[in-house]
Amino acid sequence: MAQSFDVVVVGAGPGGYVCAIRSAQLGLKTAIIEREYMGGVCLNVGCIPSKALIAAGHFLHKMEHNAAEMGFTIPGKVKLDMAQLQKWKQSVCERMAGGVEQLLKGNAVTIIRGEASFKSAQEISVKTKAGAAESVTAKNFVIATGSRPIEIPGFSFDEQLVLSSTGALAQSEKLESAVVIGGGYIGLEIGSVLSNFGTKVTVVEANKALLAGLADPECVQVVARKLKKNGVDVLLDAKAKGWKKSGKGVEVTVDIGGKEQVLKADKVLVTVGRKPNSDQANLKGIGLAIDEKGFVKVNAQRKTNLPGVYAIGDIACQPMLAHKASHEGVMVAEIIAGQKRAYEVKTVPSVIFVDPEIAAAGMTEDEARAKGYTDLKIGKFPFAANGRAVSLMETDGFVKIIADAKTHIVLGVHIVGPEASNLISEAALAIEMGARLEDLALTIHPHPTLGETMMEAAEATLGHAIHIIQKPLGGAGKGTTPRAHA
Amino acid sequence: MATKNVQLPELGEGVTEGELVKWLVKVGDTVKPDQPVAEMMTDKATVEVPSPFGGVVKEIQKKEGDVVEVGMTLLVLDSDATAGASAQASPAPKSAPAPAAAMTAAPPVAAKSAPAATAAPGQMDVYPPVMDSRVLATPATRRVAREMGVDLNQVRGTGVAGRVTRDDVLGSGAGAVSAGTPSYAPGAGVSIPRPAYQGPAGAIEERVALRGVRKKIAENLQMAKHIVPHFTLMDEANVTALVAMRDELKAAGEKAGTKVTYLPFVMKALIATIREYPMFNASIDDAAQEIVYKKYFNLGFAADTPNGLLVPVIKNADQKTILQLSKEIMDLAKRARDGKLALDEMKGATITVTNIGSVGGQYATPIINHPEVAIMGMYKIQEKPIIKRAADGSMALDAIKTMNFTITADHRLIDGAVAANFLKAFIARIENPGVLMLDMM
Repeated sequence: MAQSFDVVVVGAGPGGYVCAIRSAQLGLKTAIIEREYMGGVCLNVGCIPSKALIAAGHFLHKMEHNAAEMGFTIPGKVKLDMAQLQKWKQSVCERMAGGVEQLLKGNAVTIIRGEASFKSAQEISVKTKAGAAESVTAKNFVIATGSRPIEIPGFSFDEQLVLSSTGALAQSEKLESAVVIGGGYIGLEIGSVLSNFGTKVTVVEANKALLAGLADPECVQVVARKLKKNGVDVLLDAKAKGWKKSGKGVEVTVDIGGKEQVLKADKVLVTVGRKPNSDQANLKGIGLAIDEKGFVKVNAQRKTNLPGVYAIGDIACQPMLAHKASHEGVMVAEIIAGQKRAYEVKTVPSVIFVDPEIAAAGMTEDEARAKGYTDLKIGKFPFAANGRAVSLMETDGFVKIIADAKTHIVLGVHIVGPEASNLISEAALAIEMGARLEDLALTIHPHPTLGETMMEAAEATLGHAIHIIQKPLGGAGKGTTPRAHA
Repeated sequence: MATKNVQLPELGEGVTEGELVKWLVKVGDTVKPDQPVAEMMTDKATVEVPSPFGGVVKEIQKKEGDVVEVGMTLLVLDSDATAGASAQASPAPKSAPAPAAAMTAAPPVAAKSAPAATAAPGQMDVYPPVMDSRVLATPATRRVAREMGVDLNQVRGTGVAGRVTRDDVLGSGAGAVSAGTPSYAPGAGVSIPRPAYQGPAGAIEERVALRGVRKKIAENLQMAKHIVPHFTLMDEANVTALVAMRDELKAAGEKAGTKVTYLPFVMKALIATIREYPMFNASIDDAAQEIVYKKYFNLGFAADTPNGLLVPVIKNADQKTILQLSKEIMDLAKRARDGKLALDEMKGATITVTNIGSVGGQYATPIINHPEVAIMGMYKIQEKPIIKRAADGSMALDAIKTMNFTITADHRLIDGAVAANFLKAFIARIENPGVLMLDMM
């Protein structure tokens, strides 16, 4: 006997579960199908576990590098129990995933566990772990089946020696050395964590720069310097050719500008990006239109070419970010409930949890010029001039604002520095609201906080920040001399 | 094998969905470019949907009775299977530049909006289009605009640095984005309560979705009642002479191939009277706080159809003869009943006549077809005795023919006394149809 629903969401990641909850809130009979984990990649093998490990790595780094200056004596070397760390990380994930399940149940969403396969645009079959197949019909389907790590030729994931991000986050023993293929945000995040735990990390990046196209180049410079300082080797313009087993570890052959080099390491981690899971769940079989990059084709309401079938999150389009998926999830639920909605945002803020963190909202300088803003005002304020940053002993980095010179409308904000991830939301709000530099500068920011840097950066962009010397007045952040203040 | 999807094109301003009434093709049929494939009933009319390209029908994706949204696929054509229209890149002869790379092409009528913002297939465009990145409006304002159907890219922002404010959106009027056709939008804040109905427990009731023509009628009339303070004036006219004249002309009409009814005479008398009282041929633009006097005379007439009330419009009725009016009324009324009216044949009336007399009834209080400001009602012809007083004071009974008329007006614009004078002037004309000759052109 087939179960029938108003809405069936396929995939319980940050797009899917949010969509299911809002759909149920709106009075629609809703089910969610999940084959693996509640909360998806994000809560189980992505955002949340990586942040737990990053927090631990950061903590260790502070103990090893900052504690002495503050007056602490730590006898001997700080010991890290990797197995306990994994246990703690897992408890964080389980707590979050359990919360998702409770929320779904509390909103009367039917949870169906199993592997889904579409039979038509109105019917899906779910194969449970026990092997039984259940048929579910719905007036509306929301595909939120996400993405998975890309494999490159010759580097199939075995999660023993060749790790994906999932495997890398589950290491319960310390690695002496690791090769990270791909200098994008996942590679650098995990590479930094391993490095903090004492692993000798070598990053192999095919582009001529790290985080190419993902972040403001000036912000990347700060991170590249810090990586070097922390002993991470970065090979640019380098391509991984293959690997072989060598003793307990691996030998990875890389091509650097035509010259081959062999890197020895305990393990190799491949983080060259993610691809949509559009080859699964028989999406192609029911005639769903899929583009050449593997994304399900959708419009501004996340409708697909099949009536009553929607797609959200990583499977639908870039950027592949959890918060974009959640926004789409709410929107699609409301559209199904008959409300008038469309994906109409000015910016999807992005965060890269490297050391120091990079966060951005809005356009880069190049993007602004490409959009026809010829006359820009650009200003920067360094964390070195912020009292809170100095007292945290985290003075690397800056806040940079890009504004339209004519109207002073804020077009983009790029932060590299402590808590950049927590500072960027103010910038996102400013951009969504169409704020001008003066709006940021004239809003009183509490002292002493890292948030003051946003106000000061707006002042700097206007040419008159208080806590840096700007000469002559009107200089767009050039020749700034930081001066810390009490 | 190349297949192409035929999707529901934009059917008109503000039309987002339609009900599939009837398939005109079936699987296996060969379809030529521009050939109608389905009949769709929208909230305004029933229209035929053409296929933008040719091919053999491979798959029909919707059932009769389904509600289809603009952009949804109706059917799939195998475009290889047909000679002549085989090349993938050969759009229908008249079609607008079709999205070449897209997997499907929208029929020519849909060439309206083309937001470049997303990588979505062009035919799945959302209306109103998504806000351009250069437009400044807060997220809350964007939502209000979308809910009202206002295209933010078209609204002139009055805020700092050209920001589109909430007031700008509210003042722009819902759907006031069409170019060309004037829109006399109601002002801000028209919200109509939607109370639920709960029947007594156990009562046998049937629930049917409120949609299509019925939904539109409900919305329009509720809006009109909400905005317009109505009042109705009633009077009786001696139409003995009119009946005689019409009887005389009836034969001539038949010779010319049409049935001459009373409606065209009423229309002619009405136009002549409106010329004297231009406030009856006006609208109130609530958003702009202006009265709009129209210098053209488009007469709507209420037609009862199996789908519900429709109001076809005779454009420039002042420039047409009684014979032409008769023919046009017959034609429009028939097509209204058959559900074949084009959308623009029901748009742009400046005043409406409702002929209840053809069914029966002494008087009614009709509702004005907003944004018009008046509606005239005509009722059944009756034979009545009257007392006729001769010059010498003697009285005698006489038999006359009478017809009741009502004028319902928007009291914001039209005072009671003005309406009384208007009705009196109209009745003077309809009682002496000969004087209509004086107004002829």
